[in-house]
Amino acid sequence: MDLENTKAQMRKGILEYCILSVLSGSSCYASDIIKELKEARVIVVEGTLYPLLTRLKNAGLLSYRWEESQQGPPRKYYELTTEGKEYLADLDRSWDELVESVNLVRTR
Amino acid sequence: MKITVSINLGGYSFNIDEDAYSELKRYLKSLELHFAGEESSSEILSDIETRMAELFRAKLTPYKQVITMDDAQSVISVLGTPEDISDNKETSARDKFSTPGYHRIYRDSDRRIIGGVCAGMGAYWNIDPWIVRVIFIILTMMGGMGLLIYLILYIVLPEAKTTAQKIEMKGEPVNIHNIKDAVKKEFDTVRKNMKL
Repeated sequence: MDLENTKAQMRKGILEYCILSVLSGSSCYASDIIKELKEARVIVVEGTLYPLLTRLKNAGLLSYRWEESQQGPPRKYYELTTEGKEYLADLDRSWDELVESVNLVRTR
Repeated sequence: MKITVSINLGGYSFNIDEDAYSELKRYLKSLELHFAGEESSSEILSDIETRMAELFRAKLTPYKQVITMDDAQSVISVLGTPEDISDNKETSARDKFSTPGYHRIYRDSDRRIIGGVCAGMGAYWNIDPWIVRVIFIILTMMGGMGLLIYLILYIVLPEAKTTAQKIEMKGEPVNIHNIKDAVKKEFDTVRKNMKL
């Protein structure tokens, strides 16, 4: 068993959930999402985020709009679609269940 | 003294040292190959380029106007090589087989005549694809079995799309050095073709 690989798999599993959670409050610029995910230490390299954002967008869970920026070219702001919000609520519930299950097993 | 190149990255213009430029170009090419199988791969790449421009801008000051090799390498390590990225990538059924050192048969579309089946088998056994082709032609003439087998293999075998898969096809371990070599080789071929 490879510990690093197990950890990477765990991170991978929750990454989409984390991205949707970051966006639950308000729409975000990709670099803001990166900042939050890095602070929470769920991503290691930034390149991981972009394919996921595109996949979530293609799945209809996210949408984006272009917004003018004073510092340079227009920026892409991502936000949850109605479908994305429902998806996130579902994930919230199953996350709580997971934590509960793991705690139950650990305290046995 | 060094030669610099002027580039447009994510809507900003940068002056970049020549060596840093080729490093960056190689990196972007390796990402392009990595995401080649992905839907909207060009969108992913342009997002990454935009982020790259942002990271480079943070490295420039009124007293430092040129992107150096150090800057390029540090930005590449922040963004991550294809190897780092695929670590967290959602593993599709096909990617699960793509473990380091795995030796698989793919269809080799780079050297194909029809569908790349024979070229892929040649690459797998490290023999001239023409040997495989001749066998298929003989089998086809002896009652048509060759054609049927070819069709089945064409459907069953995946095409080697990413650099990693092309390396796997030859049975070499997939690591960043191999990918770098393969990408460099591709560059050289393109450059040679341009000159012709």
